[in-house]
Amino acid sequence: MSVAPVAITGIGVVAPNGHSTDVYWKATREGTLHLERISREGCADMPLAVAGLVQDFDPRLTVEEKFLVQTDRFTHFALAAADQALSDAALPDLPEFAVGVATASGSGGGEFGQRELQNLWGRGPGFVGPYQSIAWFYAASTGQVSIRGGFKGPCAVLADDEAGGLDAIAHGARSIRRGATAMVVGAAEAPIAPYSMVCQLGYRELSLAADPARAYLPFDSEACGFAPAEGGAMLVLENAEAARARGAAVRGLVAGHGQTFTGTRSWAESRHGLAAAIRIALSEAGAAPEEVDVVFADALAVPEADHAEVLAIADALGPHAGAVPVTAPKSGIGRAYCGGPVLDVASAVLAMEHGVVPPTPGVFAASHDIDLVTGGARRAEPRTALVLSRGLMGCNSALVIRRGEGRG
Amino acid sequence: MNGPFTYSELADLMKASAGISADPMEMEIRPEAEFGEFGLDSLGLIAVVSELEQRYGLPLGQDAEACKSPAQLVEFVNAQITSGV
Repeated sequence: MSVAPVAITGIGVVAPNGHSTDVYWKATREGTLHLERISREGCADMPLAVAGLVQDFDPRLTVEEKFLVQTDRFTHFALAAADQALSDAALPDLPEFAVGVATASGSGGGEFGQRELQNLWGRGPGFVGPYQSIAWFYAASTGQVSIRGGFKGPCAVLADDEAGGLDAIAHGARSIRRGATAMVVGAAEAPIAPYSMVCQLGYRELSLAADPARAYLPFDSEACGFAPAEGGAMLVLENAEAARARGAAVRGLVAGHGQTFTGTRSWAESRHGLAAAIRIALSEAGAAPEEVDVVFADALAVPEADHAEVLAIADALGPHAGAVPVTAPKSGIGRAYCGGPVLDVASAVLAMEHGVVPPTPGVFAASHDIDLVTGGARRAEPRTALVLSRGLMGCNSALVIRRGEGRG
Repeated sequence: MNGPFTYSELADLMKASAGISADPMEMEIRPEAEFGEFGLDSLGLIAVVSELEQRYGLPLGQDAEACKSPAQLVEFVNAQITSGV
């Protein structure tokens, strides 16, 4: 049963390889490597040594200080990315309750929270600032984007794993179908701070490699887990007909979404969950498997998980699975948890706009039976992209994105 | 630190604790203007009061947080500083 596609009219990105959509896309298309050794204060002596870091990011360039003092770095990213997306969409003045916000979050505001808790135990309760009550909460980014923009329409936060990044987009699309005029959706994360890093050390899927060039190699015979990343992306969604009627550029269309759960630490089982999510997403999009022109893979870089993903693609796409190009641009920047799949959606839209499939940086020979795009970008005319995401806690999501009419 | 607590200090605190830029002169000549007019919300006022308590070593508490305007807060804080000595 297919549903009306929802337009993507704005894209904003803050990522390790670029603080704007244009810079991000250039680096993504080139496939340059942006993983590096972590040298931040308090972070350097941990087993986790390599990540994708957003360097030299100055949120004051676009976000008022009032919002910066009361928020964590993960919200700074979201505010800056939302600004870009809204500027791209150029929404007209809209009624008070017409615009909503939906984000997903995994790490929350760990750096802010750690600072205030250190004040609590080191100096006393009087030294804990009042913004601790809001800044480290995973809902902070939805709240602050909503407050700053005056967006009083349907707002939501999804806390369901990395895959939540895709689910937030799908949730926003459903809000549009229910009558919201525009939705600001996406996710950004800031997990590279001492407390947040300690929280990740228990993940057996985490890469502990010290060499940035070897740390995150999905689908490679030397795959040894994933490198985490900071950053993410925000999108503006609108009813497609309404967007065209106001003369907005429809950059892409959210056509279908599927979501399943297969439990923690059962990567073999994720094969069936991810395949089911893909089938649901294709059905909602009214798309046949043969219509998928490119797959943006979850690409965990854990052999068992990579194998399960390859089988899921084969299960869901049938014979077409052998012919479809698969890519994982995130191997160049790391996995930004909930922000990761939203970056992939941005890449999918840009890939369709530019007629090119970006490569999987650092991987030169896939050890699995898929057509992995490696080495350099590949010329293509993709019209339908499938974006996949799995969370470490067992959520699987698939999102089908169709090509829009572009920016003209 | 001793008083008196000035509008200029209040403006600095609002900037440092809540990221709000307010003109001290305007706060002084408009005693009826509430914090909201200068962009400071209730959480921001708590942040300012918390910093004041540390600076003057005085518990100012909920009475300070209940002040509606810069003029009320300056008057209240100065009264506390004076009576505290």
